[in-house]
Amino acid sequence: MASFLRQFFSRRVRALMRKEFNQIKRDRRLAISLILPPTLQLLLFGSALSADVTNLRLGIVDDSRTPESRELIGVLTESKSFRLAGYFFSSAELGTSINHGDLDAGIVIPFDYSRNLQRGRVTTVQVLLNAMNANTAAIGQGYVEGVIQAYNNQLREMIPAARGRPGEPSSTALPDISGSTVTTEMISIQGAHQAQAAPVLLHPAFLYNPGLKDSWFIVTGVFGLLLILNSSLVASGAMVKEREAGTIEQLLMSPASTSEIIIAKVMPLFFLLCGMAVIAIVVIKVGFGAPFHGNILLVLGGAALCVLSGISIGTVISTFSRSAQQALMTSFFVNPPLATLSGAFNPVEAMPKWLQPLTLVNPIYHFATIVRGNLLKGSGLTDLWPHFLGLLAITLVLFSLSMWRFRKQLV
Amino acid sequence: MRRVIAQTRKELTQIIRDWRTLTLALVLPLILLVLNGSAISLTASDLPIIVQDFDDSTTSREFVDAFRASITFHVVQWATDKQPEYAFTSGEAYAALIIPANFGRDILRDSGSHVQMLIDASDANTAKLVAAYSGQITRAYNRQTADVMQFQPVQTSIRLWYNPGRSSKKFYGPGIFVLGISMFPPLLAALAMAKEGEQQTILQVFVSNVSASEFLLGKIIAFVVVALAECILGMVLLFTYFGVGLAGDPSAFIVATVLYAFCVASFGTMVGAAIPHQAAAMQAVALGGFLLVFLLSGLLFPIENIPAGLRWLSRFVWGRYYIEIVRDALLQGGGWPATWYKVLIIGVIGSVFYGLAWRTMRRMELKY
Repeated sequence: MASFLRQFFSRRVRALMRKEFNQIKRDRRLAISLILPPTLQLLLFGSALSADVTNLRLGIVDDSRTPESRELIGVLTESKSFRLAGYFFSSAELGTSINHGDLDAGIVIPFDYSRNLQRGRVTTVQVLLNAMNANTAAIGQGYVEGVIQAYNNQLREMIPAARGRPGEPSSTALPDISGSTVTTEMISIQGAHQAQAAPVLLHPAFLYNPGLKDSWFIVTGVFGLLLILNSSLVASGAMVKEREAGTIEQLLMSPASTSEIIIAKVMPLFFLLCGMAVIAIVVIKVGFGAPFHGNILLVLGGAALCVLSGISIGTVISTFSRSAQQALMTSFFVNPPLATLSGAFNPVEAMPKWLQPLTLVNPIYHFATIVRGNLLKGSGLTDLWPHFLGLLAITLVLFSLSMWRFRKQLV
Repeated sequence: MRRVIAQTRKELTQIIRDWRTLTLALVLPLILLVLNGSAISLTASDLPIIVQDFDDSTTSREFVDAFRASITFHVVQWATDKQPEYAFTSGEAYAALIIPANFGRDILRDSGSHVQMLIDASDANTAKLVAAYSGQITRAYNRQTADVMQFQPVQTSIRLWYNPGRSSKKFYGPGIFVLGISMFPPLLAALAMAKEGEQQTILQVFVSNVSASEFLLGKIIAFVVVALAECILGMVLLFTYFGVGLAGDPSAFIVATVLYAFCVASFGTMVGAAIPHQAAAMQAVALGGFLLVFLLSGLLFPIENIPAGLRWLSRFVWGRYYIEIVRDALLQGGGWPATWYKVLIIGVIGSVFYGLAWRTMRRMELKY
C-alpha cells in the first residue's frame, strides 16, 4: 500500500497529471460537453420515458342504452385510466377502430344488460383490449377488473334492501357519477345468493413511492447509464488522441511506467466526471423531487466507482483502436448491450432467465441498484456491499486488461 | 443511369471489403435484435415475494398456495419475526403478503378477512403490476372458495387482441428491428460520405461528369440495398425467434420498408455531406438515429406519456411512423386503411432529407 501511494504521488505522475490538466483546461469544449448534454439527457430521459398507463382510449358499443349501462360507462371512465373515445353502433365497427389503432380498448354492453341486472341474473360485458403492448394490456386488464369488482360490491350493497320482499319489484337507488341518484327498478335476488363481502380483502400498500412516480425509477437508472457512457467516451477519446498524434511513443519511451501513464491520464478525467455526477445528483433531487432517504455519501462513493469503471471501459476500447473513429465504432458494439442489459429502464426480473446473469458484469446494473436502494429505500452498506464489490471488481479487471494491452498497442 | 449504377457498385464493393463495416451493417443489428428484443420487457415474471402468515391454518396456507401457483410470483422464505422492510431494502423481495391471525376463522365465519400486501414501489410500473396480479389472484381465490355465496352481477369477459399471450417479445422485437434500421445504414452512409469529404476524394467527383444528383442517388441506392438486406435478415429473425407473422395485407408494409430504407440512407448521406468529419458525423447520426428514435418514437413507452412540451417533437421523428407500420403489419394487420398516411409521411421526410443532401452538395461544390 505504501509503495502504491509513493508511486501515486511520485514526481513523474504529478508532472504527467499537470500536463493532462492543462490540456483539459484549454479544451473548453470538453468541459462543456461533460456538463450540458448529461444534464439535458437526464431531464429528457426522465420526463419522456414513462411506462404509465393512463388515458387509454376506450370505445363503447352500448346495445342496452339504459341508465344502468350508462352508469357502468361512467364508472369505467371516471378514473384517469380510461378516456371515452367514442360510441360505436356495432362490435364490428369497434373492432375495425381498434384494428386501425384509433382505440386501445373497447367495451360491448349486451342489449339485455339492464334487464338481467334487474332480474338478478348474471350479465356479461365483453372487454376488448389491444394487447400489442403487454405491459399496457396487463395493467389495463387489472384496472377493468378492479373497477368492475368495486361496482359489483356497490351493487350488492343495494340488494339487501330489496331482499325483504321477494318477487316484488322495489326501488333501489344506485348512486351515479354525477352525485345525483338514478332510481331503478330492481327485483330481489332469489335463491341462495347471499349478499356478503368477499372472503379475502386484499389491501395493497405502496412503500417508498406512494405516488407511484415512474420518473424516479428511470432517472436513477439513466444516471448510471450516463456516467458509464460519458466516462468511457471521454476516456477512450483522450487515450486515442495520443495515439493518433503519435505522441504515445514518446510517453512509452519516457521513464514513466505504464501504470503511471494510465493513472496520470485517468485522474484528471476522474475528477471532472465526478463533478458531472454531482450535477446529475442535483438534477435528480431538484428536477424530479426524488427522496433522499439514505446516506448521500454512499451514492457519491458508488458514483466514483462507477466513473472509474466507465473510464476503464474507455481505456480498454482505446487500446483496441487506432483512431478516434475506430474507438467510436467499437463503442457502438459495446454500449447498446451495456445499456439494455442494465436494468436501467426495466426490472432485471423481466428479462429472460438466460440473460439475467449477464447483468452481474454490468457496472450500470450495480450502480442503479445502489442509487435506487439508497435514495429511494434507504438501504445501507450492509445491504449494498455486494454491488460495491461488483463495481470494484469490474474496474480492477478492466484496468489490468488495459495495462496489459497498453504496451502492446505499438505494432 | 449507368453512372448511378457504377457509383452504387463502387460503394457496395467498399462495404464488402471492410470487415468492420460489414459486421456493423449486417451482424451487429441481428445480435442487438436478439439481445434487446428479449431483454426489454416491462412485465416481470417470477418476482420474489415474501409471505408472513400469522395464522398458519389450512385456509391461510391454501390462500398462500394460490400465490405460489402463479407464474408471476415465487415465494421466498422469510421468518415471521423479521420486519418485511428488510426484505425490500436488501432487494430480496418485491412485495410482502401479510396474513393476520384468525384469518382462517374469519373466513369460515363469513365475516371476511383483511390481508395486507406491502409492495416496494421504487419501481412504480412493477408495483402496479404486482397490485394488479395479486388482485386477480385474490379475486380468483374468492370466486373459488365462495362460488355460490358470492354473487357477481356484472361479469367481464376480457379478450386480448393481437397478442393474447401478452408476450413482450412480440411488441419490442419489431421496435428494436426498426431501431437497428434507423441506426446502422445511416451510420454507414454518413461515414462513407464524410470520408469522401475528409480524404478530399469528393474533388474527383466534382471534376468528373457525374452530376450531384447522380452521385447522391448512387450512394443512397447502395445504402438502401444495405438497409433492405438488413431488413430481410431481421424479418427472418422476427418470424423465427420472435414468433410473429404477417397479420394481414403486407403491401403497405413492403412499400413503407423501401421508402424507409430510402429515408434513412438519405438521412445518413445528408449528415455526411454536411459534416465532413467521420467522428463528428458518427456522433450526429447517433443522436438522430438512435436517441430520437429511442426516446420519441414510442419504442419503449407510449408516446402519450411524453409531456406535451416534448410530444410535438415526435411528429417529426421518422422512426415513429415506421414502428407503427411494422407493428401494424406484424400484429394488427390493419393494412392500407390504417397506415396510408404514415407511409406518405415517411416518403415526404425521405424526400426532404434527399433535398437537403442535394443542396449541401451543390454548396460544397462552390466552396472548393
